[in-house]
Amino acid sequence: MYLTSKEERTLAGEEGPGRQKAMELLVAIGDIYGAKRLVPVSSAQVSGASFKTIGDAGIKFLEDFSKEAKATVRASVNPLGLDMRRWRSMGVDSGFRTKQARIVSAYSSMGLEPLYTCTPYLSGNRPRAGQHIAWAESSATVFANSVLGAMTNREGGPSALAAAVVGKTAEYGLHLRENRLPRVRIDLGDVPPGLVPLAGYVVGRIAGNRIPYLPGLSLTPDGHKAFGAAMAATSAVSMYVYTERGGRSRVDSTIVEERVSLPESELAACRESLAGDDSWDLVAMGCPHCSPAELRSMARYLKDRRPSNEQDVWFCTCRKAYAACPDAVRVLKRFGKVLCDTCMVVSPIEKMYRRTASDSGKAMVYLPTLGRQRATFRTTDQLLEAISR
Amino acid sequence: MKGRRIKGGSGEGRALCSSAPLSFLGGVDPSTGRVLDPECECRGASVAGSVLCFPYGKGSTVGSYSMYQLKVNGKAPCAIVNASAEPIVATGAIMSGIPMVDGVDVSLMRTGDSVRVDADRGTVEVMDVAEKGVVTDILRHKGRILLLQRSNSVGSYRGQWAGVSGYIEHGEAPERAARRELEEELGLCSVKMARSIDPQMFRDGDVVWTVHAFLFDVGGTDVRIDWEHQAYEWVSPEDVSKYPTVPGLQKVVSKLLA
Repeated sequence: MYLTSKEERTLAGEEGPGRQKAMELLVAIGDIYGAKRLVPVSSAQVSGASFKTIGDAGIKFLEDFSKEAKATVRASVNPLGLDMRRWRSMGVDSGFRTKQARIVSAYSSMGLEPLYTCTPYLSGNRPRAGQHIAWAESSATVFANSVLGAMTNREGGPSALAAAVVGKTAEYGLHLRENRLPRVRIDLGDVPPGLVPLAGYVVGRIAGNRIPYLPGLSLTPDGHKAFGAAMAATSAVSMYVYTERGGRSRVDSTIVEERVSLPESELAACRESLAGDDSWDLVAMGCPHCSPAELRSMARYLKDRRPSNEQDVWFCTCRKAYAACPDAVRVLKRFGKVLCDTCMVVSPIEKMYRRTASDSGKAMVYLPTLGRQRATFRTTDQLLEAISR
Repeated sequence: MKGRRIKGGSGEGRALCSSAPLSFLGGVDPSTGRVLDPECECRGASVAGSVLCFPYGKGSTVGSYSMYQLKVNGKAPCAIVNASAEPIVATGAIMSGIPMVDGVDVSLMRTGDSVRVDADRGTVEVMDVAEKGVVTDILRHKGRILLLQRSNSVGSYRGQWAGVSGYIEHGEAPERAARRELEEELGLCSVKMARSIDPQMFRDGDVVWTVHAFLFDVGGTDVRIDWEHQAYEWVSPEDVSKYPTVPGLQKVVSKLLA
């Protein structure tokens, strides 16, 4: 890989051991993927923030690394394993909280923005079209590539952190225009709004590691958020290409090698396979984190209803959305906990619950594995109905 | 062996080899260094201080952090050798300062080998193992190839089936050695060489054989063998596997004919 003389000096350790280690990491990954050079990034999103996922090893690394490294570009952090303010009422024990606090201070001493969300693009870290970024959170990566038109690979936690420190990342994969073309066309037909996450789930399984082209995919921004998160969870691909129904935009489909028409029955079969049962300990919304629009829409539905109190309810969101709609939050709090900084995927949910229902396609992938839950998919409307009378 | 530097530095120790991909999250106990992965033949052994050799990493990205924990606990390998590095293990090696080289044929290494890794130069030296350069000539006539059974008078692999083979002499070009052996063992000169392939390496005991293989087309099946062989047969290439052959012969044949 070609390095400028300044990059060579960083690699040689002339700017300190922290930047040296970060540069070594970027160069090694660049070499593995055949990158020709490094490219400057305008922001980073670092995953590996919950004590549950990175463990004692992660704490040790972050504490050591934070003594010698600082972020040089805008960089935000993924959700933690708890709500920093309401961890006790969530049911998280103080031992976990102590470990989590060490991760939080390590990241903040490196100058990372304490957003603790998987939707940094709703909290101010929103890249523009054509900008190179180094993001690790898979759902945010898809949104940035597909909806915002920014350019990023699905970074690992450490490599996104290295990019935050150096301000660059290796130029390979989705940083190159020629690698951003779709290789499979998937005709979805009409997708009912509640099943958008499952459409993403199914599309990811078909796409595998190929960028899919989805003609006529007319979704709200929140629809794209849910769709892309599920697609990323069931595939190795971090981008899709779409046109709106009746839209005029042209898509370069020169390398499309396969065309798939998704029958409605496929979506129904997927729904069936994730149907679980009707008894849940927890209903969890907000994977990815709820936007202000989603919080308001749920509050509108629940405003004149009473809680059924049959199970615990989590509405997971980011601090910024929480602050943006106090009225909605007040309504939702009658029905459950409105949690910030965390979610059902990265919190120690297995210590508190066994059976969880969610409206998220992404959560259907991670709840049974990482969260050791018996997971049930229901649409948002179905869940709102179940938690209220 | 020459590979590619992933993380610089050097390390020297006993090899611990896995022919299966390895995950550091769940596959290695970070407090003891013991291998837990049931798919790994070195399960139960400790990676601590070893030169850890495996084809490539697998599993969760958290594996990078697990490698760091091994290092902090003093249970890290002294070096890592991979066939092809992937980002999780490469990241872990860099985070943890574990010298690492990839692009090395780890199938040539055995658990217990004494190994010296100089990752800055990208070299992996297996001590007490001799590398010997040989040529193997495969003769072809009308789709059949010549196998020769080594006699009891030769120094190695007595009774096993092989091509026309012999050591490359000091300073000798492989093709020249290949033609010399043809002339010495079968009395053939000026035959037409159809193909040669990159040298293939095979481990057998304390020897790594570097085999330079050549394919020759001959006009007839008459063969005059000398003291080095006791029998010969013209066989179809698929049947090579039915004969007890010298190490790697089947692979060499299929590469030559590919």
